[in-house]
Amino acid sequence: MTHPLESLIFACLAIALALALFWPQQGFYWQIRRGNRNTERVVIEDALKHFYDREERGSAGTLASLAGSLEISHDKAASLIERLQKMDLLQTYRHGFRLKSEGRSYSLRVIRIHRLWERYLADETGVPEVDWHREAEFREHRTSADQAEEMAARMGNPQYDPHGDPIPSSTGELPPSNGILLTHLPVDELALIVHIEDEPEILYKQLVAQALHPGMKVQIAEKSQDRIVFIADGEEIVLAPVAAGNVTVEPLPKEQEMEGPYDTLDTLSPGENATVIGISRACRGMQRRRLMDLGVVPGTTISAEMRSAGGDPTAYGIRGATIALRSQQAKQIFVNRKEAA
Amino acid sequence: MKKQAVQAEEILNSANKLRWQIGDQFHDSLMESIYRDAERISQTVVNKKDEKPRFNWDRTLDRILTSRVVGLPVMMLLLALVFWITIAGANVPSGMIASVLIDKVHPILKDAASVLPWWMSGLLVDGVYLAAAWVISVMLPPMAIFFPMFTLLEDFGYLPRVAFNLDNLFRKSGAHGKQALTMSMGYGCNAAGIVATRIIDSPRERLIAIITNNFALCNGRWPTQILIASLFIGSLAPPALAGLVSAGAVMAVTLLGILLTFATSWALSRTILRGEASTFSLELPPYRPPRILQTLYTSLIDRTIFVLWRAVVFAVPAGAVIWLISNIKIGDLSIAAHIINLFDPFGLFIGLNGVILLAYIIAIPANEIVIPTILMLTVLSLHMAGVGEGAGVMFELQNSDAYMRLFNAGGWTLLTAINLMLFSLVHNPCSTTLYTIYKETKSAKWTAISAFLPIIMGLLLCFFVAQIWRLVQGMG
Repeated sequence: MTHPLESLIFACLAIALALALFWPQQGFYWQIRRGNRNTERVVIEDALKHFYDREERGSAGTLASLAGSLEISHDKAASLIERLQKMDLLQTYRHGFRLKSEGRSYSLRVIRIHRLWERYLADETGVPEVDWHREAEFREHRTSADQAEEMAARMGNPQYDPHGDPIPSSTGELPPSNGILLTHLPVDELALIVHIEDEPEILYKQLVAQALHPGMKVQIAEKSQDRIVFIADGEEIVLAPVAAGNVTVEPLPKEQEMEGPYDTLDTLSPGENATVIGISRACRGMQRRRLMDLGVVPGTTISAEMRSAGGDPTAYGIRGATIALRSQQAKQIFVNRKEAA
Repeated sequence: MKKQAVQAEEILNSANKLRWQIGDQFHDSLMESIYRDAERISQTVVNKKDEKPRFNWDRTLDRILTSRVVGLPVMMLLLALVFWITIAGANVPSGMIASVLIDKVHPILKDAASVLPWWMSGLLVDGVYLAAAWVISVMLPPMAIFFPMFTLLEDFGYLPRVAFNLDNLFRKSGAHGKQALTMSMGYGCNAAGIVATRIIDSPRERLIAIITNNFALCNGRWPTQILIASLFIGSLAPPALAGLVSAGAVMAVTLLGILLTFATSWALSRTILRGEASTFSLELPPYRPPRILQTLYTSLIDRTIFVLWRAVVFAVPAGAVIWLISNIKIGDLSIAAHIINLFDPFGLFIGLNGVILLAYIIAIPANEIVIPTILMLTVLSLHMAGVGEGAGVMFELQNSDAYMRLFNAGGWTLLTAINLMLFSLVHNPCSTTLYTIYKETKSAKWTAISAFLPIIMGLLLCFFVAQIWRLVQGMG
C-alpha cells in the first residue's frame, strides 16, 4: 500500500487541479469553452453592434475603432469590413463606415436580443448586476429570433433593459431619446436618471456600488474638474466626471421638487408605524412582485411587530397579515414614518 | 379584405408608438390602482368592529417564543422532546412488527413456497419479501410517530416561528430559514424532507434545501449509527461510560451533518446556484388549536404511507438483486464474492472494505437494509458456517458479542467503524429520495448533483480520515 503521506499529497493536488479546471465561471474548462465561441456569426454581429453604437453617438466607425472594440488585429478588421460590405450591410461614409438599412435592422435585432437577455437576467435570475452585460453578450448570439419573441412575450414585452436602454421593438423601432449626460446637467436643475452605461465594466462597478439606477431623481450640487457632487433621491454622492459621464439624465419640469432622503422600512423599531411611499427600482422581478402581492404599495400602512431571536428578519404587520422580511429587503421599501399618536 | 389588413397595420403601428409613452412602470401602476379600488370598496361595504388594543394571545406568545432569551431554548427543548418520543416510542412497535413479519411470517411463507423450485422461493421469499418486511419494520413506527407530531406543531403555527428565529443563521450561508424545518423533517425521512421543501418559495433556496437535505440523518441511518457507535466506540470507554460515549459519537456525527449542511449551502449558493433567482418572505400565521384527528389522518396518509409505499416499491427489486448476486455463481464464487474481491483494494485503501461498498451499492433503494446486507455479505465472503441464514438472506444478530465476532472475522478495525459512520452520513441519497428529488425539481441535472455531490464528498472524507489515521498510527 502506498505511504499515507504520498497519497494525501497526491489527492490534494488532484483536488486543486479539478477545482482549477471546473470552478464555475472561472475554471479553465469554462474559459476555454467560452474562448472558442468566436464563430463567424459572433464576429459579424459584434462588428454590426459596434458600428451601430458609433452612429448613435454621432460619429462613424473606422477600421481602427473596430479593431480596438473587438480586440482583433487591423488585418482581421479589414477583412471583416470587406465581408460586411460584400454582404451589403455596410457602406463607406466620409472617413469611416456606415450601416446600410439592411445592416441597421440586423444590428437592431441583435441589440434587441441583448437587451431582452439583460432584462431577463435582472428580473428572473439571481445573476449579480455586474455580470448581466457579459452574460447577455455571451447568450445573444445563441438565441434565435423565435426564442427571443417567446422570451419577450413571457416577460410581458418589456420596453427597457435594466440599465434604462430602450429595447428595440420587434419591428426595430426605438423611442426618441432626449437625455443628456449627467456631466452636462446645469447645477441645481432637477433631472431623472434614464440610463446607466454598462461599459466599461470598471466604471459600471463604481456606479453599481453607489446604488444608482434608472428612475432616481438627481440634482447637481457642485461641479469641478475632478469631481461632481450631486444628490440622488436625497443622498449625496460624489463621482469622478469620467464615471458621471456614463449616466444619462432627462431634465424634469421646474415645478417638481427633490424628494427624500426617504426613511426605509428597516429603520422602524418594533411598535412603530409607517406609510409606504414606494419600492426602490433596484428591487426587481420576482422579489418586487412578491412584495406587491403582499400589499406593499404606496399608501399601505405597515407596523413593525417584532424582531427574530436571531436579530435579522423582522415581522411586519401588512394589511392584516404578519410577514417577516429581511433587513436587506426592508431597506428597499421607502416609507414615511408616522408619529406615535 | 385588403382594407382590413391596412387597418390592422395602422392599429399595430399606433400601438407600437404608444407603448413608449405609457412607460415601463405601468405594471406597477396597474397593481397600485387595483389595491386602491379594493381598499375603497372594502371601506364602504365592510363593517369593522371597534378597534381594540391588540393585546391578545398571539402577541404574547410571539413575544415569548421569538425573544432572544427564551426563543432558542424552547425550540431546542421541543425538538429534543419530539426526537425522544420518536426513538423511545418506536422501539417496541418496531420489534413487534419485525417479530411478526420476519420471525413468524417468513418461515410460514418459506414452507408454503416449498412447492416452488428452490430458486423461485429464494428469490421471492428470501429476497423480495424479506427486503420489504425489513423496510416496513424499521421505517413505519418512527415515521408514524414523528410525522404526526411534526404536523401538530406545524398546525399549531409554531414551525414558522422556528424558521423566523433561525433565518439569520441560514441567511449567512445563503439559505432560507424554512430550511430548518425541511432539515428536521429529513431526520425522519429525506424523501419527506424533499417534499417539504415546497414551503420554500424561492427557487435558489429551495434547491439548496433539496441538495443538502441528505446531510440530515434519516431514520434508516440512525440504527446503523447507534449500532456501530455502541459496538466500536462505546467499548473504548469504561463500561459505566459506554452508553454516554456512544451517544456522544452519534451526536458528533449528527452535528457534522449540520455543519456540512451549512458549509455545502454556503458553497452552492456561491458557485453553481449563483444565478438562480432568490426572494424572501415568511408569513407568520396566527396560532390556532391544532385539529388533532385531521392532522393524524393527513400526516399518516400524505407523509407516512406515501413515503413508505415509495420505499417498499424500491426495496423490492433490491431484495431480488441481493438474493440473485449471492446465489448466481460464476466459476467457484458468487457474483457478490467476485464484486467484493474487486472492491476490496479500493475499499481498504479508504478505510472501508469491499463488503461495505457493495452493501451501499445494492442498498441504494433503502438505507434500512445496509446492516443486514453487510452481515449477510460478510458471512458469504468468509464462508462462515453456522452464522446467518444462508446466501442472499438478510439477518440481524441477537447480541453485541455475536456482532463483534462477525466483524472481527471480517477484519474490521476502529477505523472501519468510524469511516462507516461517516460514510453512512455522507453518501448518495437512497433511490426513493432521488426519485422524489426528480419529481420535485423535474430536472435530471439537479438530481444528478444531489446524488454525486455527497458520494464524492463521502469518499473524500473517508479517504482523508484513513490516510491521516494511518499517518498518526505510523508515527505512534
